[in-house]
Formats: sequence, structure tokens, C-alpha cells
Amino acid sequence: MSAPVQSRQRIIDRIRVATESVANDPARLAYAYAALPCTYILRGHLTAEGRIALMIERLHEYDAEVVESTPQALPTAIAAQLAASGKHAFVVPAGLPAEWLAPGFDWKIDRGLTNSDIELAEGVVTAAFCGVADSGTIVLHHSAAEGRRVLTLLPDWYLCILRASQVVETLPEYFNCCQQPPALATWISGPSATADIEMTRIKGVHGPRFLHVILVRDEH
Amino acid sequence: MGLDSVMRVSLFITCYNDTLYPETGRAVVSLLERLGVELDFHPQQTCCGQMHANTGFRGEAYSQAKRFVRLYRDAETVVIPSSSCVAMIRDQYPVLFDELGNETLRNQFAALVPRVYELSEFLIDRLRVEDVGAYFPHRVAYHASCHGVRALHLGDRPYRLLAKVRGLDLAPLANVDRCCGFGGTFSIKNAEVSSAMLAVKLQDVVATGAEYCTALDNSCLMHLGGAMHRQYAGMKTIHLAQILASTEASPAEATA
Amino acid sequence: MSHAAADHPVLDPTLAPPFPQAALRVLRNPQLRKNVAHAIDVIQAKRAKLVAEKTDWQELRSAASAIRAHVLENLGAYLAEFEAHCTAAGGTVHWASDAAEARRIILDLLRQENASEVIKIKTMTSAEIQLNPFLEAAGVQVFETDLAEIILQLGEQEPSHIVVPALHINRSQVREIFARRMGLKDLSDDPHALTAAARTYLRRKFLDVPTAISGANFLIAETGAVAVVESEGNGRMCLTLPRTMITLAGIEKVLPRFADLEVMLQVLARSATGERMNPYTSLWTGVTPGDGPQRFHVVLLDNGRSSILARPRERQTLKCIRCAACMNTCPVYRQTGGHAYGSVYPGPIGAILTPQLMQMQHAQSLPYASSLCGACYEVCPVKINIPEVLIDLRAQVVNHERRRFGRFLDPMYIGLRIANLLFANAWSFHAAQLFGRIGLRFFTRKDGWIHSLPSLGAKWTQTRDLRALPSQTFHGWWAARGQKSIKEEK
Repeated sequence: MSAPVQSRQRIIDRIRVATESVANDPARLAYAYAALPCTYILRGHLTAEGRIALMIERLHEYDAEVVESTPQALPTAIAAQLAASGKHAFVVPAGLPAEWLAPGFDWKIDRGLTNSDIELAEGVVTAAFCGVADSGTIVLHHSAAEGRRVLTLLPDWYLCILRASQVVETLPEYFNCCQQPPALATWISGPSATADIEMTRIKGVHGPRFLHVILVRDEH
Repeated sequence: MGLDSVMRVSLFITCYNDTLYPETGRAVVSLLERLGVELDFHPQQTCCGQMHANTGFRGEAYSQAKRFVRLYRDAETVVIPSSSCVAMIRDQYPVLFDELGNETLRNQFAALVPRVYELSEFLIDRLRVEDVGAYFPHRVAYHASCHGVRALHLGDRPYRLLAKVRGLDLAPLANVDRCCGFGGTFSIKNAEVSSAMLAVKLQDVVATGAEYCTALDNSCLMHLGGAMHRQYAGMKTIHLAQILASTEASPAEATA
Repeated sequence: MSHAAADHPVLDPTLAPPFPQAALRVLRNPQLRKNVAHAIDVIQAKRAKLVAEKTDWQELRSAASAIRAHVLENLGAYLAEFEAHCTAAGGTVHWASDAAEARRIILDLLRQENASEVIKIKTMTSAEIQLNPFLEAAGVQVFETDLAEIILQLGEQEPSHIVVPALHINRSQVREIFARRMGLKDLSDDPHALTAAARTYLRRKFLDVPTAISGANFLIAETGAVAVVESEGNGRMCLTLPRTMITLAGIEKVLPRFADLEVMLQVLARSATGERMNPYTSLWTGVTPGDGPQRFHVVLLDNGRSSILARPRERQTLKCIRCAACMNTCPVYRQTGGHAYGSVYPGPIGAILTPQLMQMQHAQSLPYASSLCGACYEVCPVKINIPEVLIDLRAQVVNHERRRFGRFLDPMYIGLRIANLLFANAWSFHAAQLFGRIGLRFFTRKDGWIHSLPSLGAKWTQTRDLRALPSQTFHGWWAARGQKSIKEEK
């Protein structure tokens, strides 16, 4: 056996010996897992309005700007946010709805952009997978409309389009609504921050310093 | 338990109270007899084994633990004026008897342990009394010993007892749950760190402006009181039992 | 700022001085103590507020503890599952028995990439295996990208906390380091300016260096995914931009399923930084074409963990999710900071993990670096009963000492052995009390107190007086009163 294979076997053997008396056999493993205690809060108790209000409150707590919009007014709302930013060049995922690309701006659509290309953009616009109100978390699963991970990382200004119907209250509700685990995910709950110097919270070390959210009231 | 049956309690004084703080023991006796409890004192008692167990001398601790169980096997109720000793019995005796004991001993222990009480537990849970008729007209800070808070989960029991002491002015203590730094042999093996923790704790205690610092464990009070005396801090320590035993007719004897 | 070679803390448990000695050095440093106390008071206050608000906090702790315990009991199965899924998703899984092997595996991978530079996300596991000096010696330049790690790297200092590693350094000390090492003469000590300096310093590195090394907060068996929890965004940079990613993870980091993160993430951020959720959490599975590193390696590290697994009472040590809540609440750590522990894992978790990783051959003073107050256990999100493990490790240390001839020279050992004999009978105990009282009279002053004692006693009297032993013991009083009630006594 080669050295790497020896190590692997050695470690596996040590683990097996160490847990012989307690390990479940494969048949019982799933059963043992299912029996683990689960008495924590799964579902929230807020109304839909309350949930949205909480999401907005949490976003405000970490200095994200939030505006609400109806589905019909969304392209206008996006245009307004872009205009107010003072920025001109934006990078977007290839799957972003075309009607969101307001005229008058330099749109770099990601069909294989290089990092240098993305660096030249001043901002990024994407959709999201989900919002978790309890912690104000925006969840990206990096689908076609959410884009590759680098898109929401390099630019300094990020506009996220979040539908009210995508907002859940608790973290367990989010996990429950994932039909299968994502291959890629980014959970955003604030701008980049560090407290490494005297516990003083400084924002925007790496990653966008400015987060804007349009909350689309699509419940009706 | 009806009104005409007397509760019989066996007092385990603890090795260090016996040697260093007999006045705490006298106070426990005075208090419990005043409350109508019939007391006995097993003359063969020595130590619960905590010092040895906590320092890693497991075999030695086991022999002391075994002896404790043997001495108190037939006691109706055991009361101990020291939360750390009760924590030793509840939390560590099972470990010792698991590793070194036998089935008989484990059974004897299992039968005994529900009958072992720390003093404030005994007053509140068994005697169901909060007002013990005490009088102690002084400003007092209460230090919540770690074993009492975290091992025995005494909660508000000491505070309920203190609240009924006439004349007593309870000063709130900042960082009340923070360890004073005694830790048994820790105070010797890590004397400097222990002293640093003590300095921090003493700051909070002295800042209360109280005349007395009280607690349910003389171990903490020995450590705090030792520094108070060294530094002319203008405060004294006194075990809670002595406050509760204190009346107009028989005021408490102070420790220092 | 004094950091002469003599003062440089040693975080190698095989070389570090015993805790009491190392701690004394720190106790004499008021600036460091102030920095540490300030930092942990801030985190503790934030944590307390969020825990109070979380009405199912205890239920979450129970679930987190149970999940971790279940994983450890079935570690072999879950690691195998992780390996299979990670491999199927395009990752390569390596197994390292010990630190030396892990270092070699990583260096070989870097050599395959012709990597002369590597960017790193903070990982305590890499510090555990002393990776950086090894790579530097082999000609690979290592760039730490966490702000705290940059401060430590440029300042040539050692981490003192597992979440906020530079908490012992204040802003003017950081300014001095950055000004000197980044050549920024006019840099102010405002944390914003310092952070901006770090951001500029790193931007090019993120974009140019094609190889990165990370740790992992969690490995997901169900899918072969890896999760990294962070605040600054340097993690996202390192795990998105390079061509090759190497993730080093202890074998205990695995979780059964993706959904288990619903528990772990809720307890981790609140415990570690006092937030409902940390700014960025990233999850990736093997290789995703077109997005992120196209070559991905996981190095699973044993390095003593399988021996900890073998001991039933100690196994819980491995439940740890590295939140540092224990050291934030520890009254000992508050006075000494992390360096006194002589290990990259300080505080209460370090006191039990470090000696065990060393197979109890080193760091034997660490299990004693605790007053057993239990505050750590109270806050641990996965309910590790640290005091229970500390006491068990103390028993192991003593059993080791029993076999050494040197024990007869240890006054504490002798004293405790004798005390045990004395406690065996009432008559020997009472005789000892009598002799003790008589003997201590020599040291008793007129005020009835002892101010100075020899030998071990001096450790007490260096800062505390001791009241003289009363002339009558309690048992003596009881015997004398016979059947008289206390009222008659007066």
C-alpha cells in the first residue's frame, strides 16, 4: 500500500477501534440520527407583514438601504436606485431578467467575464434565493439570476432584489424550503466587518461596503 | 411529615469548617435547633474528599467518599454548610464509584444522595421556611459561590433567606457570578492568577460599601477575608449561617 | 511595545513554560491585561444580550450538543460519507495522521501547483500543525489575509484567542506594526485607517495569487460540502478567486447533514461574536465548473484526535466548534490572556484539548489552569462539560506522577498523600488539627492572624492573611456540650 492509503486506513482503523462500543451500524445510524432532540423553534409565529417588517429592521441594523416596490414598479425602482448610486458600470448575472437592466447604464453581463472586467464595474445587481428575517440574512444559491460568487464579491456596491414571498422568519424555515442542499451558497448577514482592533467594528474590509435591497411586495 | 414528627438531621460540618470556622457550625446548630430540628453529629466524620478529587488524587478521594457513604448510610437527612462539598458528593461521587466502586456501594450512594442537602436548600426545600427569625442590622454583600450557582443551581434560595433577615441591608454586588479565584488547591498551584482574580473580585465587593461579605462557603470567604484583612479593607466576612442564626438576643459572632 | 525575544510567548506545547510561570509574565503586563479584559467584556455583553433574546437557546444547545456527540460516536461512517461525496463532486480528499504528514501533503500539493506564494484564510488548525514556518522554510511565501492574522504576521506575534487572535494588541500597537511593515509613515491609529491600509495591502494578493489555504468550520457528510464562517470577506476572496483551494480540517469537523447547519449557525455566531449571524458564511461542494477554484483538496487531520475519541469521558472535547465563548467567560483567561497557555488553543477548551493532543506528554500544567468555576460549561453551545474533563485530566497527570521518583520532592504531592492518611480516621484527623494549631502558633501574630508562612503556605500568605486556628474545633465544642442545647451554653 502506498503511504497515503496507509494513513487513511490507519486513521479509519483508529476511529473504528475508538468508537466500537458506541457506534451504530449502518442500519441503525439513520434511526439514531432521527432520534436526536429537536425541541428548538422551527417555525416563526409572525404574520407575513411582521416578517417583512422584521427583515427590513434587521437589514437597517446593518446599514443596508431598503426600499419596497410592487412587482410592476420594479424596473422603475431599480433605475432609481442605480441613478441615486452615482455609479455607471454594473455587472449582472446572465440570468437576470432583461427588464431589470435600466437604460442609460453600462451593463456588463456575465457570460464569462474576467476578474479584471469585474473589477472595472462599480456595482452589481442580482436576485436572491431567500431572506431570513430573524437575522436579516440574504441567501444566495448562485443560480442563473443570482450569479457566480465573484460577482457579489468584488464590486463595492450591491443591489439585491428580494421578493417578499422569498422571506422566511427563521433559519430552520430556510433549510426546510431547500428541496435539496445547494452545491454553492453564500449567506450574507451584514457588510464585511472586522472587530479585530480593540473590538471596534469597522465595515467593508473586503466585499461590498454598500448594500441596497429592493423588497418586492409580490404577495398578492 | 406531620407537625408532631421531628425532623432529624445529621450535620456534616466539613473538614475545613471543623478546623477553621467552628463558629459557622455553632451557628448552624443554633439555627436549626431554633427551627425545631433534632440534630446529631457523627463523631467519626472527617472530609468528603473534594480537595483530593479536584487535584487529581482520585484513589485517595475514593477512599474518603466511600467512608462518607458508610458513615451516613442510615442518616435520615444530612445537612452541609458548604455548597462545594455538596457538589462534590452529587457530581463527583458517581464518577468515583463508577470507576473504583462496586454495585453495593453505588446502590448505597444512590439511596443516600437525595437525602443530602446544602444548608439553604434544606431551609427552603425541606423546612419550607424563608423567615428564620433572624436579625442582623448591617449592610451585607452576598457572594454567590460558583458551586452553589452552577453545580447546585441554588438560584434565588440564598436571596430569599436574606430578604427576610430583619435589619439587613443587602447591597447589590457587581459581577456577582464571577469566580473569586479560590478554586481549592488552585489558590496554591496558581497562586498569582488566584490573587489577580481575587483583586478583581475584591474591587467589586468593597465597592458595595458593605460592612460584611457573606456566602454559603467559607472557602471563598477565607480567600476574600484573608485579602480584606491584609489590605485593611474595612470589611469582614461572615458565613450565611451565622447571619441566619443571629437574633437580637444572640447577635452573630463575626469572623474578623 | 516590549516584545524582546525573552518575552516572546511560546505557543508550542512541547516547549512552552508551565502555566503558572507563563501567567506570571502576563500578570505583570497591565496593558495586555487591559486589552484582554476590554475585548472579552465587549463580546460577553453582546453574547449575553442575544442569548437572552433567543427564547429557545437552551433547546438549541441541547440539539447542537446531541448532533456533535452523535457525529463523534459515528465518526468513521460520516467521514467516509463526506469523502465519497466530496470526491464525486470533484474534490480530492487526503488523510493526515499527524502534523508532519499534513504539512508534507500540503507542501506537495503546492509544489504540484508550482506555487511560490499562497493566500490563507485564518485557520487555527494550520497554526496547530505549525504550517506557516514550514512552508516559509520550503520557499513558499505565506500571506495571511485576516486582519488579525496580518497584524500577528507582520508584528511577528502569536495569537492569543481563537476567534479574535490579536485581541491583546491595541490600536497604537497595530499602527506601529503597519507603519513599519507596510511603509506607511503617516498612518494614523484610527481603526478605520488601519483597516483601509490592510484592505489595500491585500487586494492585489487576492486577485493575483492562484493558490489558497483555508480551514473549515463544518464538513457536510451528506453532500461533501465545506462551510466557512467569517466576518471580513477575506474568506470569500480566498475561496472564490484562486485556481486551487486546499482546505485543512480536523476529522471532528464533520456534520451529518446540510440541515444541521440550522442549529450550528444559530449557536456559533451568537457564541463567538455576539451576533445573530456573522456577515458571511460560504458553502461549496467539490468543484463547480466556472465558479471558484477548479482544483480542490481537503486534508483531513487526525493529530491525536482519534485518541481523544477513544476515551468516553474525554470524547466530548471534540464536540468543540471553536466559538471561544468559554475563554470569553473564563475569569482565569480574563487575567492571563491566551499566551499563558502555551498553545494555539488557549482558555478552557485549550486546557483540555492541548494536553490531550499531546497524548498527555506535555502541557500537564494546563488542566490545573482553572478554578473549576464552571462558567465555561454554562456558556458552551455544545455543552462540553469542561470541568469534568479537567478533573479527569488532572487524575491522569497525577497517575503519571505516581510513577515518577520526583514525586517525593513535590510538597503538594507529599502533603496530599499525608492528608489522605489523616482523613482516614477521626483520631488521626483530630490529632493533625491539634498539631496544626500548635504548630501554627509560631506564625500567629498578636492580632490573631498569620501573615507569613513557609513553603507551600507562602503561596497563600503572599497576598492573603490566614486567621489562626481557633482553640476549639467544632467537634470539640459539640462533644463538650454533651446533650445541652445551645441556649444553655450561653
